[in-house]
Amino acid sequence: MANLKVIRKRIGTIESIKQVTRAMKLVAAAKLRRAQINMEQARPYAGRINDVLNHLLPDIDRSTHDLLTMRPAKQKAFVILTSDRGLCGSFNTNILRQAENIIDGVGKENAKLICIGRKGYEYFGKRGYDVVEHYADFWNELNFSDATQMARAVTSRYLSGEFDDVRVIFNEFKNVAQQKIAEYHYLPLVLEDDAEVVDTDYLFEPSKDEVVKSLVPRHLNIQMWRFLLESNAAEQAARMTSMEAATNNAGDLIDRLRLEYNKARQAAITTEILEVVSGAEALVE
Amino acid sequence: MAAQFHLEIITPTKVYDEGEVDYVRAPGADGAFGVLAGHTESIMALAIGEIKVVKGSVEKTYASAKGFAEITRNGVQLLVESAEPKGGIDLNRAQKAYDRAKEHLNRKKDEMEDELRALRALERSMNRLKVAEKK
Repeated sequence: MANLKVIRKRIGTIESIKQVTRAMKLVAAAKLRRAQINMEQARPYAGRINDVLNHLLPDIDRSTHDLLTMRPAKQKAFVILTSDRGLCGSFNTNILRQAENIIDGVGKENAKLICIGRKGYEYFGKRGYDVVEHYADFWNELNFSDATQMARAVTSRYLSGEFDDVRVIFNEFKNVAQQKIAEYHYLPLVLEDDAEVVDTDYLFEPSKDEVVKSLVPRHLNIQMWRFLLESNAAEQAARMTSMEAATNNAGDLIDRLRLEYNKARQAAITTEILEVVSGAEALVE
Repeated sequence: MAAQFHLEIITPTKVYDEGEVDYVRAPGADGAFGVLAGHTESIMALAIGEIKVVKGSVEKTYASAKGFAEITRNGVQLLVESAEPKGGIDLNRAQKAYDRAKEHLNRKKDEMEDELRALRALERSMNRLKVAEKK
């Protein structure tokens, strides 16, 4: 009989776990939708800036702009985007493992880290990496100003000579079921190969140089914004998928326990009937 | 009826499609400039300021942050990091940002970067307040 009670209690526990995971899945789905809308809205702006910049860069003397000049990369910086919270499957583990590989490839002592998201900071902070900057607690209310703040921090450290090369490692949102880890060369700015060069003769005001000077920071801001949005969407998608799996698993477990419960109950009833019958038979004799 | 051109104000978070307009005035880095239909194709850096759009007898203003204007044969695109139509400016937020930046400037003089940041924040919030309070 005690067995029955134990099973009943376990079913109740798993029932409530299932409720929680299902709620988390729904929340993640809603957040994913918002993240996708944000990505959609950022696209025209990012695309235009990219086009214009790609149109201009071939004509510009790179050595006159600090953010465009290639210099020997002695110190490298890595910007790593993770989430603040867990329960999103292998979203953080995968990126942390890959980032660690890349960083160890250049040597721990040659790498400075900028961790965006709490998980990355906890991971690398504990392992003795040089984390020069970290951000957390902004994912819930993503603001464009967060992106500009991060971009500015990275840029000013780059300009001060603290590092000579900046890579961004983040989860790219492929589709709901898939995230891809991407590495992006953030600074110095490089031209994309597949850029479509627009052939228009523009008049530049105040001057071509000045326009580029004001365009590059804009570009860095919007790129950072894109990374945040991509990573955010990927995180919510990963959480949605893993919480869906958890909900299904909880359902399976409940089914199994219920079967066990019914069997135990049946066995108990049979025993009782047997006792009653054999008792009655004993009386007849 | 004068010739019109297509105007879009594009920010990282929103696109304001103004449709066909008669005139737009934008805050260029070297001072405000106006654009009518048939303008030379150009790219101009924009400073923090006010964008004015004239469509027929309707006039609209936006408080905008840094960016640039791309003028082509097909129309004008203003790409700015933020733009808020006059009625949509969050006065409370702008006032708070203004106060915060002011306080920051009064207190800290040691760090260049911080001061620059506060100055920029001050500039942006002042612009929002200015545009919002104009009649």
